[in-house]
Amino acid sequence: MEPTLELDAVRKTFGDFVAVDSVSFAVPKGSLFGLLGPNGAGKTTTIRMVMDILAPDRGEVRLFGRPRSRGDLRRIGYLPEERGLYRRMTVADQLVFLGELQGVPRREAGRRAEHWLERLELGAWAKAKVEALSKGMQQKIQIAGTLLHEPDLLILDEPFSGLDPINQGVLKEVLSELRGRGTTILFSTHIMEHAEKLCDRICLISGGRVVLEGELAALKRARGGNVYRLFADGSLDGLESVPGVTQVVRKGDGEARLLLGPEADPAAVLAALVDRTRVREYRSEEPDLETLFIQAVRDAS
Amino acid sequence: MRAETVRTIARREYLARVTTKGFWIATVTLPLLMAAMVFLPSLVLLKAKATHRMAVVDETGELGAALVEALAPEPGPRREARDLEALGERQTEEQTARFVVELVAPGEPEAQRAALDARVLAGEIDSWIRLGAGQLAGGKVEYRAASVSNFLTQKRLEGALSRVVSRARLEGAGLDAARVSELTRATELDTVRVSERGSRAEGGMAGFFLAYFLFFLLYMVVAIYGQQVLNGVLEEKTTRVVEVLLATVRPVELMLGKLAGIGLVGLTQLGIWLATAVALTAPGVVGAMAWLPEGKMPQVAPGVVVHFLLLFLLGYFFFATLYAAIGAASNNLQEAQQFAGVVVIFLVAPVLLMMPVINDPDSVLAVVVSLIPPFTPLLMMLRIAVKMPPAWQVALGYLLSGGFTLLLVWLCARIYRVGILMHGKKPSLAELWRWLRYA
Repeated sequence: MEPTLELDAVRKTFGDFVAVDSVSFAVPKGSLFGLLGPNGAGKTTTIRMVMDILAPDRGEVRLFGRPRSRGDLRRIGYLPEERGLYRRMTVADQLVFLGELQGVPRREAGRRAEHWLERLELGAWAKAKVEALSKGMQQKIQIAGTLLHEPDLLILDEPFSGLDPINQGVLKEVLSELRGRGTTILFSTHIMEHAEKLCDRICLISGGRVVLEGELAALKRARGGNVYRLFADGSLDGLESVPGVTQVVRKGDGEARLLLGPEADPAAVLAALVDRTRVREYRSEEPDLETLFIQAVRDAS
Repeated sequence: MRAETVRTIARREYLARVTTKGFWIATVTLPLLMAAMVFLPSLVLLKAKATHRMAVVDETGELGAALVEALAPEPGPRREARDLEALGERQTEEQTARFVVELVAPGEPEAQRAALDARVLAGEIDSWIRLGAGQLAGGKVEYRAASVSNFLTQKRLEGALSRVVSRARLEGAGLDAARVSELTRATELDTVRVSERGSRAEGGMAGFFLAYFLFFLLYMVVAIYGQQVLNGVLEEKTTRVVEVLLATVRPVELMLGKLAGIGLVGLTQLGIWLATAVALTAPGVVGAMAWLPEGKMPQVAPGVVVHFLLLFLLGYFFFATLYAAIGAASNNLQEAQQFAGVVVIFLVAPVLLMMPVINDPDSVLAVVVSLIPPFTPLLMMLRIAVKMPPAWQVALGYLLSGGFTLLLVWLCARIYRVGILMHGKKPSLAELWRWLRYA
């Protein structure tokens, strides 16, 4: 099946700085796709190139199985990283305006705006001016604004940032719901937990390059063998020097994830660990995204 | 480009401005001021039109009666009252109190002065004068009143006195009364403005004031609405609304929608203002103002209004387009003002050229400067208001200025398109040039 969105060796430079370097990935129809990476990795630049706000220096963006056209952009709902609303407009007017720009008739746009405001628990604020609302509320309004024309593809740049845990929960529900109805969703985040439970596919970028891409479950399976969880009563300092351990990800008091090198013998590592600290638990596990990410970045460099 | 999208954007821009209190305050204030200028003087004068009671101590035995007659209201329609001393006095008569004169037989001067002063203070009479026996030989007349600031009343009294005295002198010199009346007939100026639509009576200064008023009104609205475009573009850029919009809208659609919406706000406001001006200066209304000498009020003709609105659109699009590009290229208001300072020169230059153009609207200088595209809206308006220029000049002005503005819209759209998403440092002129050429 044709992917809904496909990037082929896209590159963007600003002066001497290479922001995005030959990034390729495909977002299959109906998937919930996470574009992950640390701050400054090139996520926003990539998304802006998808939205035709920035022109790539090289490479191609394909939408809905063909080279991108202006008309196709109207089938996308887009939440930019920098939020922006008309501050002196009322919430309802603002949404209707955005809906109309996306080609929804005014009356219908009003009906849908009402629906989404209710769904995002903002029904009471429809007549309020945007400037009277908190940042989190404004963000939810802007998310509602991306949904009015029932887009086939939703592109959300850092949709969770600025939302409290309750609203993050509401947003996750909404995204799952939309995906259930067949909407393809791409969102970016630098917080791995947000992608962990939601995404079925991810693309990790770092320094403008793709370091890991594919189906999340498959990626975890492929890399699962090398990750061990360690609980210990003693100090966890200096474990990096244990032969076979390539990286230690501290998880909190007395807990760490150890990444072992491909050749390492887990039993030998355990023996070495016992010499250094009081091990309570040591077991193999599926890596979480954060671990995968750190591993991938390390492998890439 | 989708007309529907441009319309949606224009509609938002329009409603966002027309629904503010500030817009309506500004829109209503100017007509109120105009109405105040027309109606207030008549209200003030109505009050002054109360009777002025004056006692006249007549020692001459003849001047008193003549003065009573001279101060009596002029019979017959105003325009036929030609034999007054001067136009100014005729106006004075129309605008001052009706005199009620009480002739008092002369008594012992000191006692009579005290008695009459007492009556003034008691409010029984407003003033009194003494016409001395030697009045015909010359000398001043003492005017005694509680208030001496009603200069229009005094001026009229003075005029009537001079006339009465000079007639008496002429009669004293042996001329008969009818001959005197004939000899003292006044001459007055009747100003008539000649235009191609036929001549009509108008005050000498009226044409100047109308031209002045329309010129600065146009200057003001072009500057204000141009600035609104600048602010609007900057607001969208700094609040980053523009990134949401540009996901579905082309930059040129956004720019044109904004220009159209804000331009319509300007047209709405001007429509209300000019309709008020036309209504207030219509002959019917002016005629109803008894105090206003007919034809003294500059009339705002509907034809001039049409030119005004068209020239507003030309001037607005010229400046607003430049301001849109400036707003898009700048990161904040301070930066934008630096660029805007350059553009304002095009707006200020016509102000400097205003006096020469008013004085001689058909001079080579006036014709040439009014055909320079950036100056056309303001200076052609000035010329039209003063004296309708030849049709070919007006047409050429519209053509040149319109074509130039279209070219400017095209150029500015290119700068706008790049600048609106560019954040960071202020672009240099070289960069702006590159944006122009960037396809």
